[in-house]
Amino acid sequence: MSSQRNIYSWGRLSPSPCEVIAPAWQDECQLPGEKTILPFGLGRSYGDSCLLTEGTIIDTSHLNRIISFDEETGLLRADAGISLDAIMNFSVPRGWFLPTTPGTRQVTLGGAIANDVHGKNHHRAGCMGNHVPRFELLRSDGQRHLCEAGSPLHSATIGGLGLTGLMTWIDIQMVRIPSAFIDVEEIKFNGLDEFLQISSESGETWEHTVAWIDCLAPKCRGIFIRGNWAKYGDLVPHQAAGAAVPIDFPEIALNKLALKAFNTLYYHRLFQKQSRSRQHYSPFFHPLDAVQGWSRIYGKRGFFQYQCVTPTEAGTEPMEEILRIIREAGQGSFLAVLKTFGEIPSPGMLSFPRPGLTLALDFPNRGARSHELFDKLDAVVRDCDGRLYPAKDARMSREDFVSSNPRLEDFIPHIDPNFSSDFWKRMTAA
Amino acid sequence: MSDSTFNVAVFGATSSIASETMRAIAGEHTAHFRLFGRNADRLGAVASDLDARGASSEIREVDLLSSDVDWSAQLEGKNWDVIYIAHGSLPDQEVTLNDSKKLELEMAINFVSPVQIASACASVLERQKRGTLAIIGSVAGDRGRQSNFLYGAAKSGLETFADGLRHRLFHLPDVKVTFLKPGMTDTPMTAGMEKGALFSSAAKVGRDAWTAIKRGRSTAYLPGWWWMVMTIIRLVPAPVFYRTKL
Ligand SMILES: Cc1cc2nc3c(=O)[nH]c(=O)nc-3n(C[C@H](O)[C@H](O)[C@H](O)COP(=O)(O)OP(=O)(O)OC[C@H]3O[C@@H](n4cnc5c(N)ncnc54)[C@H](O)[C@@H]3O)c2cc1C
Repeated sequence: MSSQRNIYSWGRLSPSPCEVIAPAWQDECQLPGEKTILPFGLGRSYGDSCLLTEGTIIDTSHLNRIISFDEETGLLRADAGISLDAIMNFSVPRGWFLPTTPGTRQVTLGGAIANDVHGKNHHRAGCMGNHVPRFELLRSDGQRHLCEAGSPLHSATIGGLGLTGLMTWIDIQMVRIPSAFIDVEEIKFNGLDEFLQISSESGETWEHTVAWIDCLAPKCRGIFIRGNWAKYGDLVPHQAAGAAVPIDFPEIALNKLALKAFNTLYYHRLFQKQSRSRQHYSPFFHPLDAVQGWSRIYGKRGFFQYQCVTPTEAGTEPMEEILRIIREAGQGSFLAVLKTFGEIPSPGMLSFPRPGLTLALDFPNRGARSHELFDKLDAVVRDCDGRLYPAKDARMSREDFVSSNPRLEDFIPHIDPNFSSDFWKRMTAA
Repeated sequence: MSDSTFNVAVFGATSSIASETMRAIAGEHTAHFRLFGRNADRLGAVASDLDARGASSEIREVDLLSSDVDWSAQLEGKNWDVIYIAHGSLPDQEVTLNDSKKLELEMAINFVSPVQIASACASVLERQKRGTLAIIGSVAGDRGRQSNFLYGAAKSGLETFADGLRHRLFHLPDVKVTFLKPGMTDTPMTAGMEKGALFSSAAKVGRDAWTAIKRGRSTAYLPGWWWMVMTIIRLVPAPVFYRTKL
């Protein structure tokens, strides 16, 4: 079925009118020959990489079946539109988990691979694309390619922003878990140096690490969170999401004072320097999934997320500088996430992670003021040879994209001539 | 999980709501599914999904609209815990009202065929003296609304038929007839619509259908809050109602 409608990406910056085709079966996966198309998962990308205004969007979310699962080896073959939520519901009771997970389960397997997503275990597991032995790719000439790990089309499609064709089904290597719970330690820190120290101590012995930081505080203070799968405990999957945010919030809900109060409270939630607990994987990995459609708290104008990585070689100075600029601008979000990326390279030609520090945070859309701030941050990222994450981006410059992706030249020949996206148009506009 | 196999027959097994209900059942029971539908490849995809979840399944490729099929014979060989009638289609009302062939077809899919199959299923359950017949209707059957009364009329006819079957089987305490009324659901059938706050996922609707079946409910709105919405819609006095665009 096809029809015309508006779709939004997660940042809800503006509606994108397009034609939508929704195949629900493998035999319905046919690409209209003469049109410009882009696959779409669950629209959890923040900016315009999942949008194609006035084009044809292939909504894959109804293509969501399991094709086979090997209980011995943990190899799962599934339709590309299956959500990570559905996979975990299926796999957790059987003692298996995805090799890595982003901060939300509400993404499709295809979307997770097209952005080569990373999780809290990046330093141990690499990206999603490190665990995908093969998939089928449908191209607009009607050809179906079986892409095995190591082949150029495989490497181009991983992190390939949906531009190389439509993944129809995907093999993913699951990992065994002893329980559905995580043994968690939370440690308060003050300053980036202390963060780095805890992070490097934790790398060997902790599978999952991340930090929440308060960008408005004078010194980068925050809570370092590290966890390992608990050895004992039931294999219970998560519950379905609870309340939804059905409407856009009025903008005053998010003024600076409220942010500051929230961040301070969050920090002081931990009374002691260090605390231990056992958490189910759902609040640990996907804390925001408890409120459906939370992006609407940013109101009608939507919001940006800024995620960059600064390379290890550059040390902590660039990140200090980025945090200083954000603090001075006073536009930061509730909380920012800081993590150290590990050394494991991904096969993806355009994969975002590289060894170093990554920071992600939301900014309510304040028009020109937001853009001025981002330009300042970009300058720091550019100077240290860092890069920005297309999955979160709605505004990076073409020059920065080109100069920070050394394998772009290898990638371009693999683009399907009929595929494009608003992001890609922005990156290739003269 | 219980020890004995839980047997489920599903007509229109490629429906997304039915698929989600079957997944929920496979999560709780060692289940066997007999899947009826027109497209063997797609039934095969549904079967693989259920098999991966630990169920077993068989496929019956049949035309559900055919009046030559002996539906009781199709149900032979098992003692059914649940028989689920899930097929239906959401017609383009204006086109259909002006095309008598289409009208006939839509009424066959949404009324005649489910009625034929349901009455055969009822006699199977009567012989078994146990089991649930679950039928998917729609909130659209609760009140004729200018935008959607053709589909609504078929579903409300089907509901009346289910009421009658329930009455007839009332003497058998272990036989239940559950009429399910989903509200707006995010399925391929509605892919072209903008998804407002009233839309629910097929997964939620399918799971809630299973809960209603387990509880032996006579009718169930899916999700439950549609009961409130539809009560209001039914109670709005006609002079006011007719001024709306619903
Ligand atoms: C709360 C939240 C937390 C997040 N946390 C993280 C995180 O920790 N780490 C991280 O890496 N990301 C994170 N993200 C980003 C998110 O994981 C990615 O944007 C992800 O790719 C979204 O998947 P999706 O299914 O919604 O795809 P969409 O956003 O709809 O599409 C993403 C891309 O995938 C392509 N695509 C989709 N399906 C296919 C297919 N079948 N074949 C080919 N291409 C396809 C699209 O064309 C598009 O380019 C987070 C997002 C949110 C909202």
